[in-house]
Amino acid sequence: MSNSAIEHGPALALVASAARRRRRLFPYLLIAPSVVLLVAVTIFPLFFALKNSFFFWNLQMGPEPLGFIGFGNYQMALTSSVFMASLVNTLVLTVSGTVLEVLLGLAIALLLCHALPGMSVARALLIMPTTIAPIVVGFLFRYMYDPTGGLIPWLLTAAGVPIPKVGLLGSGATALPSILFADMWQWTPFCAIVLYAALLSVPQHVIEAARLDGASAWTMLRRIRLPLIRKTLSFVVMLRFMQLFNTFDLVLVLTRGGPGSSTRTLGYTLYQQGLVDFNIGLASAMTWIIVIMVNALIGLYVLFVFKDWE
Amino acid sequence: MRKGKHLLRTSLIYAGLLLILLVFVGPILWFILLAVRPSETVFAVPPVLLFKPSPAAFQATFIDPGTNRHQLFNSLIVAGGAVLLNLPFSFPAAYALSRFRMRGRKNIMLWYLGLLMAPPVAFLIPYFVLMSRIGLSGTYLAMILIMQTITIPFSVWLMKSFIDEVPVELEEAARVDGAKWHRVIYRITLPLVRPGLIVTSMFAFVFSWNNAAFPLVLSNQKTATLPIGTLSYFATAGATWTFIGAAAVAAMLPPMIIFLVLDRYVVRGLTFGSIKG
Repeated sequence: MSNSAIEHGPALALVASAARRRRRLFPYLLIAPSVVLLVAVTIFPLFFALKNSFFFWNLQMGPEPLGFIGFGNYQMALTSSVFMASLVNTLVLTVSGTVLEVLLGLAIALLLCHALPGMSVARALLIMPTTIAPIVVGFLFRYMYDPTGGLIPWLLTAAGVPIPKVGLLGSGATALPSILFADMWQWTPFCAIVLYAALLSVPQHVIEAARLDGASAWTMLRRIRLPLIRKTLSFVVMLRFMQLFNTFDLVLVLTRGGPGSSTRTLGYTLYQQGLVDFNIGLASAMTWIIVIMVNALIGLYVLFVFKDWE
Repeated sequence: MRKGKHLLRTSLIYAGLLLILLVFVGPILWFILLAVRPSETVFAVPPVLLFKPSPAAFQATFIDPGTNRHQLFNSLIVAGGAVLLNLPFSFPAAYALSRFRMRGRKNIMLWYLGLLMAPPVAFLIPYFVLMSRIGLSGTYLAMILIMQTITIPFSVWLMKSFIDEVPVELEEAARVDGAKWHRVIYRITLPLVRPGLIVTSMFAFVFSWNNAAFPLVLSNQKTATLPIGTLSYFATAGATWTFIGAAAVAAMLPPMIIFLVLDRYVVRGLTFGSIKG
């Protein structure tokens, strides 16, 4: 194209380069509307929050900020025992939830891999917990955990497991594990179904060859199957990790952070500070602390998981 | 001997499978039973499995007096509106990301993904303050707009995976014949990815239908969605459990049905198109 442009003189070259520039811009024009809308509903509010985080501002005291206090809100957030307790709870929930859900999911996926009649029906039914809204899962488990006749305390008592008198959700020792269990109920099937799909794509002849070589099931899993589904596995781990880190709905319905601060997550504390107590300044500082943490986590994923994508 | 061992293995696998289904599907059935129970059996000890089912709770929540009926419609409006608004934004973006190897492509994809991973409450507080200022708090529009933080990134990712599957040669052939860009997209690409657009829209519908954090803060009594309306039963003394059951069952059925219909695409949808399944 550039050759013919030279032959036909500078006028045509100008036209050609304008056309080329237009072509180069075209994909960005297609993307622009979605980016503009998303910036308007996410990035713009976040920068509004950044400004607010330097002000003392409680909506219950007045509609406008009450004064610039520098990093006061950040200091208050980072030294408050509630925020720190939320951080610890969130990390405990996130790490244990991710590990348990992925491991259990993998075990179920391996079981599903036995090509037997009825497996596709089982798979279609198994995903059902994942389809339900997390808040509705909260309703379901509040019903099943009820200390006055819920199914789970009854089953545990029947099995000889002691139950705290105040109920599973009422005791500081069992409340967080109870939330974890509800989350596992909802998301273990997700891990199972996705990992199962990945395992199915492992070529059968590779498995057969390893079997003929006398590889045990464990060796086969560790040396052949897991390395071949590495990409899916890391995607599932990332999704579960981030979604658990953002846990909010379950806490809202099941415990409202209690008893004490034993089940407060970062998401719930943020909600409570900002939208129950209307402490906009402090909540904005917390927002930015969380935004920085989430971005750091995503950054780690971009470095390690998405390094070799595309 | 070999055959006996094989049979034992098969029955063990089925037993394990049955146990798994009991754990993961059993509670859903138990919840559906709650919605049709006579209220005196709600917390009976030991639990009552056999009773005469009654539609009274559905009657009360959705027909007469129908406390939750308009919330059901609100849920439909918000989720449906979020999907409709998202299409003209996400399809062009997905098309561009699928067809052009431009600079920054991977970073744009990762930015969308990052939004899907972000804590919704973080946007929610400043968004709520801004919406109150311009008087949009409590409106459908405020909810539909913020739902785009989920529907657009999700739809771009999933649609891109569908557009990737349409051979680019078809478009090139049409362009050689002198057709303009927008005509090629409209006449060739769009009809070919229509099933993908429908699948994407159905998943996006489920994700907005299931979102509770946004409506919790941005709705008012008139615009509350079904789960938020259900939540208010807990505020009244002595939660009316059969009503909660009926409203919750109504909230969980549409996503379940959509997932059953989309069976073949479930893995793909849940992984934003990155795993074909």
